[in-house]
Amino acid sequence: MGRRLTGLRRVTVSGMKNFFRNSWLTVAATAVMVVSLTIIASAVVLNVTAKNAISELSKNLQISIYLKDSASQNMINQLTQDLKSNKAVASVTFVSKSDAQKQFDQTFQSDPTLVAGLQILGTNTLPASLEVSLTDLGQINQVGAIPNEAKYSGIVDSVTIGKTDVKKTIARAASAQHFITVASVVMAIIFGLVSMLIIFNTIRMAIFTRADEIKIMKLIGATPTFIRGPFLVEASMYGLIAGLISSGIVLAGIFSLGEKISNQAEFTKTYHYFTSAKIIAGLIIGLIVVGIVVGVFSSLLAMKKHLRLKTW
Amino acid sequence: MILLDRVTKNYNKRGTALKSISLHVEPKEFVIIVGPSGAGKSTLLKLLTREEKPTSGKIIVGGIDYETLKDRKIPLLRRKIGVVFQDFKLLANKNVYENVSFALEVVGMGNKEIARTIPKVLDIVGLTGKELSYPSELSGGERQRVAIARAIARQPKILIADEPTGNLDADHAWDVIRVLEKINKYGTTVILTTHNQEIVNKLKRRVITIRDGQVVSDKAGGKYK
Repeated sequence: MGRRLTGLRRVTVSGMKNFFRNSWLTVAATAVMVVSLTIIASAVVLNVTAKNAISELSKNLQISIYLKDSASQNMINQLTQDLKSNKAVASVTFVSKSDAQKQFDQTFQSDPTLVAGLQILGTNTLPASLEVSLTDLGQINQVGAIPNEAKYSGIVDSVTIGKTDVKKTIARAASAQHFITVASVVMAIIFGLVSMLIIFNTIRMAIFTRADEIKIMKLIGATPTFIRGPFLVEASMYGLIAGLISSGIVLAGIFSLGEKISNQAEFTKTYHYFTSAKIIAGLIIGLIVVGIVVGVFSSLLAMKKHLRLKTW
Repeated sequence: MILLDRVTKNYNKRGTALKSISLHVEPKEFVIIVGPSGAGKSTLLKLLTREEKPTSGKIIVGGIDYETLKDRKIPLLRRKIGVVFQDFKLLANKNVYENVSFALEVVGMGNKEIARTIPKVLDIVGLTGKELSYPSELSGGERQRVAIARAIARQPKILIADEPTGNLDADHAWDVIRVLEKINKYGTTVILTTHNQEIVNKLKRRVITIRDGQVVSDKAGGKYK
C-alpha cells in the first residue's frame, strides 16, 4: 500500500513537471481545449434557454372560441368532440359565462371602475368560450379552422388564434434553437478534433523528448503503468485547467448577459436555473470531466502509437 | 543461475545472429564473453534481458523460464538483472544521486530507504562525495561507475556489463573492472563482454569466445587471442 502511494505520488509529480516543462505547447493545447469546452457549454446553455423561452411563450398560444349565448349544449359538445379528435389538440376547456365573469373580476379586481361599469350593465355580457391548447404549434391554423366550419356558424361567435407577434417570436426562437444546435454540434466536433490532435501531438513530443528516460525505465524494471502514468497526469492537467477556465468564461457570460434579460418573463426561469448552486457545480464538474476524458483519450492514442510498451 | 539450451536467433534482414548456443553459468561466477564485432555478443545479452526473444531454444535465468514468462512479468525479471552499457545511458539532467535514485524510485522504493541505500552503493563504486555532480562534470570512468551504481542499487543477482570499458582509457577501464570484481566478490554473477585483450588476459576468469553466432571456446582462466 505504502509503495503504491509512493508510486502514485511520483507519477503525479513527474506528470506535473512535464506539464510545466513545455510551456508553449501547454498553452496551445490548453487554449484550444478551452475554446472547445466553451463552445460545448455555450451550446447547452443557449439550447436550454431557447427551449425554455419557447415553452414559456407557448403558454400564451391558445385558440379561444367564443360562443353565442344561443348555442345549444349539443352543438357545443359536438364541437368539443371534433376538436379533441384532432391530434394537435392537447385539451379543450369549456369556460361558461359565469366562469368568464369570475375570471374577468379576478383579472380586473384592481380596477374597480371597470368592474363597476360592467355591473351597471346589469347582465353578464361576457360570452362563454372553449379554450383550446395545442401539442403541436405548427397545426394552430388548421385547428383554428374547425370552429369556422359552416355547421358551427350557429354557435360560434368568433375565433381568436393566439397573438400574431407571439407566433412570430416563437417561430424565430425555434429556428434560432435549430441553428444553435446544428452550429454548435459542428463546431464542437471540429474544435474537439483539433484539441485532440494538439494533445496527441503534445504527448507525442513529450514521449520523444523523454525517449532515453523511457528506455532506461524499461530496462531497470519499471512497470508500464509507471511509465504511462506521468503522460496521463499531464493530459489530465490540460482537461482540468481548460475545464476550469471555460466554466469561468461560460458562468461569466451567464451572470453578465443573463442578468440583463432575467426580468423578461421568458428568461426568468432559465436565469434562476443556471445561477443555482447545483447547476453551477454541475457545469464546472461536467466541463472538467469532459476535458479530462478528451485529454486522457488523446494521450492514450499517442502512447499506443509511440510508446511501444508492447516491445520490451 | 543462467542456462541457455540450443538457442538460435534469426533476424529477417540480418540473417542468423546466434546458432544453437548452449551455455551454463553458475551463481557468483564472473564470465567474460569475447568475440569480434557482429559475432552475436550483444544479441546474447539482449536475449538475457528479454529485449529480444529467441527464434528457438530454451533460456532459464534465476529459475525463470523465458518461454513461459508473460510480458507483464518482464519488469519483475529486469529488477533481478542489472545492466551496464558502453554509452552509460545516464540522464543528463539528473545528478549522480538522482540518477541512482531514479532506478530505485521506478521499483517503488521509499525515499528513506533510498537515502539509506545510495551512500552504500556510491561507496562500493568509489564515488562518495560526487552525489551532486552532473554526468557532464564527470570523467568517462566515473560516469560508468555511476551507471554501475544504478545497476547494482537494487541488489540484482546478475550484472550484465556490455562493453563497459569500450569508451574508456586504460586507467579508467581498470577502475571499472575493479568495481565489477568487487561486486562479484559480494556474490553477484557478472557477465562482461569486452574487446580489451589486456583486461581479459589479466583477469584470468572464464572466457567464452563467440564467432559467427557460435561458441568456439569456453575455458576457465582463458585468454583472448
